[in-house]
Amino acid sequence: MKKSLLLASLLAALFAGCSTTEVEPMGLNAPFPELESKTADGAGADLSGAQDGAGLDSDELAKLKASDVLKERSVYFDFDSFAIKSEYESVIAAHAQFINEANAKVVLYGNASYEGSHEYNLSLGQKRAVAVKDALVSLGVSDASIETVSFGEEYANQECTASACGQDRRTDISYVGE
Amino acid sequence: MRDFLKFFIILFFGMQIQHAAAIETIEILGGKANQIPIAVTPFDEQTLAAQKQPQKINQIIENDLIRSGLFDILNTGGVSSYPRNADEVNYSNWSAIQAQFLILGQVVADTKSNTMEVKWSLVDIYKQNVVLSLVLKGRPSQYRAIAHKISDTVYEKLTGTKGVFHTKIAFVKKKSKDSYALYVSDYDGFNQRAIVKSKKPIISPRWSPNGEKIAYVSFEKEKPVIYIQNLVSGQRILLANFKGNNSAPAWSPDSKKLAIVLTYSANSQIYLINEDGTDIKQLIRTYAINTEPAWAPNGEEIFYVSDRGGSGQIYKINIKTLETKRVTYEGNNNLSPSLSPDGKLLLFISQKDRKYRVALQNLLNNQYLTLTEGPHDESPLFSPNGHMVLFTYKDYGKTSKIGTVSINGLTKTPINVGSETILESTWGPITN
Repeated sequence: MKKSLLLASLLAALFAGCSTTEVEPMGLNAPFPELESKTADGAGADLSGAQDGAGLDSDELAKLKASDVLKERSVYFDFDSFAIKSEYESVIAAHAQFINEANAKVVLYGNASYEGSHEYNLSLGQKRAVAVKDALVSLGVSDASIETVSFGEEYANQECTASACGQDRRTDISYVGE
Repeated sequence: MRDFLKFFIILFFGMQIQHAAAIETIEILGGKANQIPIAVTPFDEQTLAAQKQPQKINQIIENDLIRSGLFDILNTGGVSSYPRNADEVNYSNWSAIQAQFLILGQVVADTKSNTMEVKWSLVDIYKQNVVLSLVLKGRPSQYRAIAHKISDTVYEKLTGTKGVFHTKIAFVKKKSKDSYALYVSDYDGFNQRAIVKSKKPIISPRWSPNGEKIAYVSFEKEKPVIYIQNLVSGQRILLANFKGNNSAPAWSPDSKKLAIVLTYSANSQIYLINEDGTDIKQLIRTYAINTEPAWAPNGEEIFYVSDRGGSGQIYKINIKTLETKRVTYEGNNNLSPSLSPDGKLLLFISQKDRKYRVALQNLLNNQYLTLTEGPHDESPLFSPNGHMVLFTYKDYGKTSKIGTVSINGLTKTPINVGSETILESTWGPITN
């Protein structure tokens, strides 16, 4: 009984067809332009959209740089926690005031330590970004001025031990157009 | 070990009846005593042009069978001579090393036509008969594929289940802080090829059940978005780039839809979307995190992780009735669910005492079992036949690597794809 390697040739064909895609963020959106317009709140589909809409003038940028409290951009959280610690209340209040005065837009980047799954950590980072957003909104900042994004564990310190991992459990406040 | 026995006796009770067609009734139990003792002789490869194969055919077959956890590979070093065909088998030689089965063969290469033929046999030493003799033809470049084909044939004959030794895996390598790539390779890590390279992280690769595409999450837009890449054409589409995060793609069993996770301005929620990006609709809406969707093989239920109870636990939802049930209770967090091909076993990462380990739950009786020791195991996925699990672990607590563990827990084997950190991986389907 003879058996040809049909399987192997099929796989070879599959593999021969594999080509490497070098990332080209701008050129690859074409097939689904309608996706871009389906985003909520009329905001841009990604950060580039948000960046188009807002900017800080030079006075505002100068003020942002000059203020000690506004230089504080990170809000740290405890393990598996999303509660904003009292020590960050003044920082968040200062940012809320500045965002409102300058009509600024911010992106809140949530992060998580590496322990656990990549996807769950993406969700935990998001929850930390949302916690800071909720705090800003409670201080009068409009929802539309804030975008939340999570990096999950992807930029975390992979070799952190218990105490050092705390550096990864944070939300960073970033001004659009800064 | 007792837990293992109880667990698998219940699970595989139906399997023996189902596979009565296989020549032996194989009980997949936790004990080494249930492994099939098999000897694989070195093949006579004298006519093959001296090419550098890192492993010979018999070694490739041995490694395949070892990985499955169902075979006890016998040392053939003490046997005086190796048969080249079934007629030459000296049964008492192989009985002496307590082999139940023997794989033997020879390679006949034709350098003019650049082809090779592998004539091989599977012999039953107990019954003293030839189970099968086959000839496989191919090019020398298909050397490993031919060996894997032999492993698959033996595996199906002796266990009643298709082998996965011809299948492919895909995995993400992190080469440096700003160099990532998605690779496709043979299931054992050989024949690697990059299909996407990026300066930003790539996570959550998922091979479509029909084998044609891989969905993945890329951070190249400074936030997570989902692409689907066609493996034949090399083209990719942007499946989801909504406000906030786009992540956790999970193919429906018919490869036509995906469950995905979007955030907009709030916590992660699960949506369904067609594979061409149309007809998106929200499946779950709560204030808590809902993520890591995984389809049941019947296409009717989605298992997922939610922290609505205070920690990450696995729930399931019927996508028609929306009836929801909590599935896991053991451990502090249970993450990354996926289902066995028969839908009877739930595979996930279980965190207890700050150790993350690969765990199984028998969905028929909710018995729970850990397969690995951790402490940083992640991303478990079943082999397409459900007999092995692909997962990542931290080598010496540092670099993340991939490996397999047999679902009877007996064999843990690294997959060597280089020294770089591996973020996550996915297993392609059986293609024949």
